Amino acid sequence: MLQRIGFQILQHGRMLPAVLSQTSAALRRFSAVPQPVEDAETGSVPIIRKKGISLRGVPLYLDMQATTPMDPRVIDAMLPYMTEQFGNPHSRTHLYGWESEEAVEDARAKIARLIGADPKEIIFTSGATESNNTAIKGVATYLKDKKKHIVTTQTEHKCVLDSCRWLQQRGWDVTYLPVQPDGLLDLNVLEAAIRPDTALVSVMAVNNEIGVIQPLKEIGAICRSKGVYFHTDAAQAVGKIPLDVNAAKVDLLSLSGHKIYGPKGVGALYVRRRPRVRLEPLMSGGGQERGLRSGTVPTPLVVGLGAACEVTQREMEGDLRHVRRLEERLRTGITSQLQGVVLNGPADPAHRYPGNVNLSFACVEGESLIMGLKEIAVSSGSACTSASLEPSYVLRALGVEEELAHTSIRYGLGRFTTDEEVDRAIVMTVTHVNKLREMSPLWEMVQDGVDLKSIQWAQH
Amino acid sequence: MNAAAEARALFRAFLREGRRFPNYNIREYVQRRAKESFHQASSITDPVAAESLLQSGRKELEVVKRQSLVYQLYGRKVKNVLELDLAFKPGAKQGEISA
Repeated sequence: MLQRIGFQILQHGRMLPAVLSQTSAALRRFSAVPQPVEDAETGSVPIIRKKGISLRGVPLYLDMQATTPMDPRVIDAMLPYMTEQFGNPHSRTHLYGWESEEAVEDARAKIARLIGADPKEIIFTSGATESNNTAIKGVATYLKDKKKHIVTTQTEHKCVLDSCRWLQQRGWDVTYLPVQPDGLLDLNVLEAAIRPDTALVSVMAVNNEIGVIQPLKEIGAICRSKGVYFHTDAAQAVGKIPLDVNAAKVDLLSLSGHKIYGPKGVGALYVRRRPRVRLEPLMSGGGQERGLRSGTVPTPLVVGLGAACEVTQREMEGDLRHVRRLEERLRTGITSQLQGVVLNGPADPAHRYPGNVNLSFACVEGESLIMGLKEIAVSSGSACTSASLEPSYVLRALGVEEELAHTSIRYGLGRFTTDEEVDRAIVMTVTHVNKLREMSPLWEMVQDGVDLKSIQWAQH
Repeated sequence: MNAAAEARALFRAFLREGRRFPNYNIREYVQRRAKESFHQASSITDPVAAESLLQSGRKELEVVKRQSLVYQLYGRKVKNVLELDLAFKPGAKQGEISA
């Protein structure tokens, strides 16, 4: 019966999403999601109540750096492997294994094409975190007899910093390079930090909090000239800015599925073969993925990752144009209506990925701002650090003051963001910031021209 | 049907199917992207390239139809705030927000 309804919809297409037609009601009975009960007396649309907050509808999603929705083309590619083509790609003896392996190799080729690599250089992992761990710990462990120094930056992702800390606790030497106030790494500082016993340099391509694009080509050239491996965490960069592992002289690269409109729980690690980069595997087992990552390769996820890379390769230029236009609209919309707004990260558009807009609002309390913006889904600080009340370590590394760091809001724009969503975000932000500032005595003092830093606060 | 007429029919089919997609963001994306790519492709004169584009266009249309169904089955039943405003107050200005 469901088939007939589905067929009807495809054939005649009389189904409108907002209208309760008979077919829609019939489909609802088969819906997998538990239905909220409609209020029989008032006929009002049910609202969502979670964590003590009531929402009249689903918020507009503007947090693309945290994760991205799966592109329908990706879901379409994955579904056959989640239904009837469920074989293990390592089964060599029957059709299920053969077709699964074919799909995995196909996906591998698509990912390789996106970053300019050879398919044999791609290994699948459970995400960028695992890829980063494998790259850093793997290379460091392999070279531990001759080289015991690692160089990275203070603004890396937590998994990179934590892997380096793990190595430090076991006797390695790690240098955490500072960054300039706009987030860019000073190449002279990098060159000075590299020693004869440096095994690896790890610098992320695009930062997830402020969107700064590091000069990969120049860093790659420095590393190549000194004979040091160059690893980059490109989770936020792949598919968003053009990336070529040979042009940038990258030896190891991590990418993540759920940042490029693909599934969560899958990622890949590029490991250069010419010249060969050797590393100790993290996961021991049957020797899958060239012995570098044992474990059954999850076919549906990997197919989704491949489809996401293929779609992204076609859409990259159009997406970048779209996101640039939206970023212009958002930034000028907010800064034209509000004073005391600071953009965290480089102002120069050549060094910043436009989809990441991190703004700080002076004299506004961060938590209350976020609570007030409940109809848009944005983030303050990265998702990994939001559990604690400490301001983001990335903003601290940039030298942003404590108060401004607390009131930073990160807007993430992407392929599916619309102009109306951006306009709504501007209106909500401006309204709410003004509301909070009206209540703030500090803002009154700033308006009167008082320098807040010159005030001697009385002790009680 | 020659290539140009078929392209026009395919474009109209994309817009029609896209309008029916249950998710707001993807609905807007399909419309915007279809307009962009068909506009770009309108300048192509090489028949081989045109035919291959039409082929991929037909495949993508099938994807839109299938995924429209999947989203209808598994998508949320509560709409997002923008859609609610547009549905209940069709003349609402962008500035009207409920507190």
